[in-house]
Amino acid sequence: MSESIQQYIPIAMQFLVASGFVITTIVASWLLGPKVKTLHKLDTFESGLQPVGNARMQFSIKYFLVATIFVLFDVEVIFFYPWAVNFREFIQEGFEGFGKMLLFMAPVLIGFFYVIKKGALEWD
Amino acid sequence: MSKLKENFNDKKMTAVIILSCLGIVSMLADIFSYKKALWYIVLAGVAGAIVANLNEKSNAIIYDMLLTDNYAIWFSTLILALVLLWFMVSKDQYESGVYNSSDNYALILFATVGALILTSFSDLTMMFLGIEILSIPLFILAGSNKKDVSSNEASLKYFLAGAFASGILLFGITFIYGSTGTFKLDKIADWANAAGSNLPALFYTGILLVMVGLAFKVSAAPFHFWTPDVYQGSPMFVTAFMATIVKGAAFAGFFRLFYTSFTSASGSWALILSILIAATILTGNIIAVYQSSVKRMLAYSSIAQAGYILLTVLLSNQEAKYALLLYIASYGVSTITAFTVLYHVEKIKGTDTFESFTSLSQTHPLLSVVMTIAMLSLAGIPPTIGFFAKFYLFSSVLKSNTSYLWLIMVSVAGSLVSVYYYFRVIIAMYGQHEPIISSEKKQIPAFYNVLLLLLVCVIIILGMMPDVLMSIDNL
Repeated sequence: MSESIQQYIPIAMQFLVASGFVITTIVASWLLGPKVKTLHKLDTFESGLQPVGNARMQFSIKYFLVATIFVLFDVEVIFFYPWAVNFREFIQEGFEGFGKMLLFMAPVLIGFFYVIKKGALEWD
Repeated sequence: MSKLKENFNDKKMTAVIILSCLGIVSMLADIFSYKKALWYIVLAGVAGAIVANLNEKSNAIIYDMLLTDNYAIWFSTLILALVLLWFMVSKDQYESGVYNSSDNYALILFATVGALILTSFSDLTMMFLGIEILSIPLFILAGSNKKDVSSNEASLKYFLAGAFASGILLFGITFIYGSTGTFKLDKIADWANAAGSNLPALFYTGILLVMVGLAFKVSAAPFHFWTPDVYQGSPMFVTAFMATIVKGAAFAGFFRLFYTSFTSASGSWALILSILIAATILTGNIIAVYQSSVKRMLAYSSIAQAGYILLTVLLSNQEAKYALLLYIASYGVSTITAFTVLYHVEKIKGTDTFESFTSLSQTHPLLSVVMTIAMLSLAGIPPTIGFFAKFYLFSSVLKSNTSYLWLIMVSVAGSLVSVYYYFRVIIAMYGQHEPIISSEKKQIPAFYNVLLLLLVCVIIILGMMPDVLMSIDNL
């Protein structure tokens, strides 16, 4: 066995000990613990109140619309990062860097304005 | 002076900037309620873009990404002229109330920006961006008739096929980058020249994958399966846009890439491309014969025409540029004319089958004459531009390389087959005389009569004097 792999043996042991401890405790508590199966024990616990109705309820969150708008603005925001990274150079150039960003911001804002005015964010 | 100002004063990319702003203006028309004036604003804007494009500083390199050589300027002008024409003929469809004109016009204008980039790129990234800017608005436009199931189907099919093709294209671009280490078209060409005959297999694979990706976009057989359904399902003028402007831009990009970068490696792809061309011409023409819907027939005819246009890519020399410009102009004008007539016939008769053209010459003599001339031009019969475009294309192929004689024979055979289905429309209009139902006598607005006459004049005048397009220097 080469030396470089030998260096990793402590890590492997760490993994074994960590997973071994978890597995042992779970299996032990399952084997050793008392098993009580009554109706009240298996019932949903909600602050001592009787649960009423089904927890599964359908409501529309306009998933595709939200997802599309999210992707759109998320991608647009990504372009801020390179701008922020190069901010120092832009300061030296004067207002040009600022102008470029404004040029980029304008379509984003127009897009946002368009989305609001078209009623894409009114859900009811 | 700052670089931004410099670019602005140098008149670089003005057409692209104008069209982008025009798209935003058109998008907001609904909100600020100037929708009634929108059509005029858009027409003025596109006309302005044409003027700006002709004044573009020639041979300017823009951020090492675009190159405005004569090829770029003239193909952009042609595409913008077709877009202007499109906005004129499609007015009726967007006034009918089914479509939201402001959103649709915005998408069309954004797609046009992609088309312009596709004519002037000097970098593979820009080519890919151009194709995507061109395609993404069209996925939406194909489904713009929201309540029509076939329009939705068209949108989904187009999206899936388009995404698949883009994936293959990107894969090819990656391979080319992997072997050459550059995205720049001229550097790739230099690299291929320096490597001489021992080009690595990676490079060939890249070229073939790019070819397959672009063949998808221009709907060449065997990658044409999405075309008929998409063309039939989409709203009439969206189909017209796809068949003319999108296809023209895609071909301009296809040719630019292969002509600039891959000519020295043509041994590796010429044979495959020529088989592709023969397959496209035969499939398009033969299947078109069996169609009962004129719209679907035009879809197959556009596949067949894609085969002829691909001959210019195969040729990849100076003369092929003229042939390409002429052919796209001829095909574009004729197809837009045919779709305009078809739109009005469908509006009057309710269907787009060959039967709906029966005895049209009695009720609508002008529509019949216009359709006849469009069909003659598409079939390539003399007094029209279509004849000269085909003649120039075939003769320049034969002039440069006689070994492609078999391909020209296939093309001519295909053209002969095409005469059958184009003439089916003409025969339906003039051949049979049937009793006319009074509801079918509804006439079209005078504006369209004038417009259709104008289109016919363009087809015939360009057919008489194709020199107008041939006299451009150093295309």
